[in-house]
Amino acid sequence: MEIKLRVFRFNPEKDAKPHFDTFIMDVDPNDRVLDLLEYVKADFDSTLALRRSCAHGVCGSDAMRINGRNYLACKVLVKNLKSDTITVEPLLGLRVIKDLIVDMGPFFENFRSVLPYLINDDPLPADGRERLQSPEQRERFEDTTKCILCAACTTSCPSFWADERYVGPAAIVNAHRFIFDSRDTAAAKRLEILNQQIGVWRCRTAFNCTEACPRDIHITTAIAEVKKAINTGKLD
Amino acid sequence: MSYMKTTLTGYAAYRGREGHWAFLLHRITGLGVVLFLAIHIVDTSFVYFAPQLYVDVINVYRSTIFGLGEIALVFCLFFHGVNGLRIAYLDLFAPKDWTIDKTRRSMLVALGISLVLWVPSAGWMLFNLLRHNYGLFGG
Ligand code: SF4
Ligand code: FES
Repeated sequence: MEIKLRVFRFNPEKDAKPHFDTFIMDVDPNDRVLDLLEYVKADFDSTLALRRSCAHGVCGSDAMRINGRNYLACKVLVKNLKSDTITVEPLLGLRVIKDLIVDMGPFFENFRSVLPYLINDDPLPADGRERLQSPEQRERFEDTTKCILCAACTTSCPSFWADERYVGPAAIVNAHRFIFDSRDTAAAKRLEILNQQIGVWRCRTAFNCTEACPRDIHITTAIAEVKKAINTGKLD
Repeated sequence: MSYMKTTLTGYAAYRGREGHWAFLLHRITGLGVVLFLAIHIVDTSFVYFAPQLYVDVINVYRSTIFGLGEIALVFCLFFHGVNGLRIAYLDLFAPKDWTIDKTRRSMLVALGISLVLWVPSAGWMLFNLLRHNYGLFGG
C-alpha cells in the first residue's frame, strides 16, 4: 500500500523552526512505523535522527508521537493506524535535541528522585541466603515490574507538560514497584517523597498514560494505590 | 520552551481519548464555575459598597446573554460535580477499576448523567428566559 509519511524535522544548528518532511512510500501493511523510519534513513535521507535499539519493544528507546499519540515505533504496525497518512513527531514536554530525539534528562531525574532500587539494610536471614517472599507478595507488584522506562506515559501527561518537575507516571510506577515489595524497607521514605506537591497529587487522572503504555501497565491504578497508601499509611 | 506553551500545544497536539476529554472538560467547567463565582462575589459586594450599581447589575443578569450564560453555567456545575464524584470514587475506593475499558465507559456515563440532569433544567431556564425577555408563552 502507498502511504504518506510526515516526519518532524528540527536541526538546532541550522533551523530556526521545526518543519515536516513528507515521504511517499510503498509499504507492507505489516511493516512497523520503525521500519518506515529505517527506509527513510536508508533510501531518502540518512541525516534523520532517532533513537532505537532492540526494535522489539524491549529497550524502550523509540517512544514517539505517531498520529498524535505516544507509541513505541517498533510496536505499532502500519495497518493498526488505519490511515494512509502517518505523522511522526517527538515526545511532548521534553526539549527536542534533533528530529525525533528528545532530552530525556528531566525524565530520568524524576525517575531517580523516587529511589527506584531495593533498600534493605537488615541482616540477612539465618541461612544467609535469599529474603523469601510468597507468590502473593510477589504478585502484589508484578504489574509495575514490567516498565521499560520508555517515557510514553510521562510525556503524554498534561500535568507533566505543565511542569516537568512533576515526577510523572513512570517514576510513580517505579516507586510502586518497590513500595509494595515485601523485601523493601524504604516505603515510608518514598511515600514521603511522593506526598510532595510535585508528587502523586499532580495526577489528574487524565488517563493518557495508561492508554499509551506499551507494556499495558495499569498505571492509573498504581498511582491511585500510592495515593491510598499515603492517605491511609497502610500498604495492603 | 515555556511550560505554558507546551501545555497548550499539548492539549491541541496530543490525541487523547475519553480520559483526556474528561480532564479537559473538567478544567473548562471548573474555570466556568470559578469565573461565575468571582463575578457573583463582586456583584453581591455592590449591595454594600454601591447600592445603585447593584440595581444595574441585576438588570444585566436579566439580559438574554446572561441568561444563556447561566444555562451554560448549570452544565458546568453538573459535569464538574458528576465527573468529580467519578474520579473520587475510582481513586479512593476502586483503584483496580482504572482500566482502559472501564475508564472509557465511566467517562461516557458521567457525561450522560450530567446531560440528563442538565437538559430539563436548561429547558426550564430557557422557558423562563423566553417568557420574561420576549413575552412568549404568555409572559
Ligand atoms: S510505565 Fe509504561 S509507558 Fe511508562 S515508562 Fe514504563 S513502560 Fe513506558
Ligand atoms: S527499539 Fe527497543 S523498544 Fe522499540
